Amino acid sequence: MTVVPAQQTGGGGGSSGLYDVLELVLDRGLVIDAFVRVSLVGIEILKIDVRVVVASVDTYLRFAEACNRLDLESGPRKSPGLPDIVGEITESGARGKSKGALSGAAQTISDAFQQARGEGQSESRPRARKATARKREDEE
Amino acid sequence: MTTYVYGIAARSHPALPKDMGGVGTPARPVRVLQEGELAAIVSDAPEDLRPKRKDLLAHQNVLSEAGAGGAVLPMRFGSVAPDDAAVTGVLAERAEHYLERLQALDGKVEYNVKASHDQEAVLHRVMSDNPELRALVESNRQAGGGSYEDKLRLGEMVAGAVQAREGEDAAVLRQALETAAAAESVGPESTGWLANLSFLVDREKAEEFLAAVERVREGNPHLDVRVNGPLPPYSFVEPAPSEPAEARA
Repeated sequence: MTVVPAQQTGGGGGSSGLYDVLELVLDRGLVIDAFVRVSLVGIEILKIDVRVVVASVDTYLRFAEACNRLDLESGPRKSPGLPDIVGEITESGARGKSKGALSGAAQTISDAFQQARGEGQSESRPRARKATARKREDEE
Repeated sequence: MTTYVYGIAARSHPALPKDMGGVGTPARPVRVLQEGELAAIVSDAPEDLRPKRKDLLAHQNVLSEAGAGGAVLPMRFGSVAPDDAAVTGVLAERAEHYLERLQALDGKVEYNVKASHDQEAVLHRVMSDNPELRALVESNRQAGGGSYEDKLRLGEMVAGAVQAREGEDAAVLRQALETAAAAESVGPESTGWLANLSFLVDREKAEEFLAAVERVREGNPHLDVRVNGPLPPYSFVEPAPSEPAEARA
């Protein structure tokens, strides 16, 4: 019988909250050098810094496009994020407010992220080599 | 048979998990190894252990359960010792250090806070702060979207403005929450968030901390703030909790 203490999960909730916790399990916690750690192939991709990706032509074009569709007149005077604005901007609605040009800012990495999550579950291992190499460096 | 290690606790810990399911398929039963004043929460290690979602959750669940009853030093996922004797050997060798850490973390839990921008809201914010950007958007629009170069120039400026805003908002968040916490630890940057902060919070002050989070949310509607906790103190097991995780690696 497992009793897990109630968890406070705000905002995204659900799977994103869960994912936020897994990041801690993988990246923090006590490491004892006398013990071996299992390979974290496909997971190290978490650490890639968004700033590198943001500065790309693709990103700029996405931002420009998003601004083009932004309702400048209604925006500044209203409290941001009101439903009528959301309706205008949200690209597909598939992932609600957190999806769009900003996440497009790093879409490539996002995809890699998704894939890393998938790999975590499925045990397939593309992208493995680079991550493993980095991991080894970390451990040394 | 190798031994998977979940965490380290004091032998006097009142409710160490036993017989709950750990990592592996089928789940290996959790056991407790004792050495001096310390105890290790372990199970047999599956041979093919990999960072699968189910196993990561098993690791987290065992530690949540143990942490609910008293202080625990959570291991990072995937720590495997050659055998039980190797685990008790480490406990004996570093007893003083682990006991000190357990004492320091007694009665405290970790809250991890991640924030990201609500996209439309932050674009509005950036536009309203910057007349030059607004003018550029307007002129592009009148030119039917503008040329490739126009778009690129606009996009670059917006990206810069949003990034600057990310930095400012991360600082706001940190300042608002650090006063309600005993210690903080800055996590790695990544695509999914503009701030990734872990706070060590007295169990008894948890409500105070969560109220501070709520105030940040109310004062910053363009921020999406996610809170996870109470958690075992993953980010505070090392002696220098204020040090960023990167620097310890």
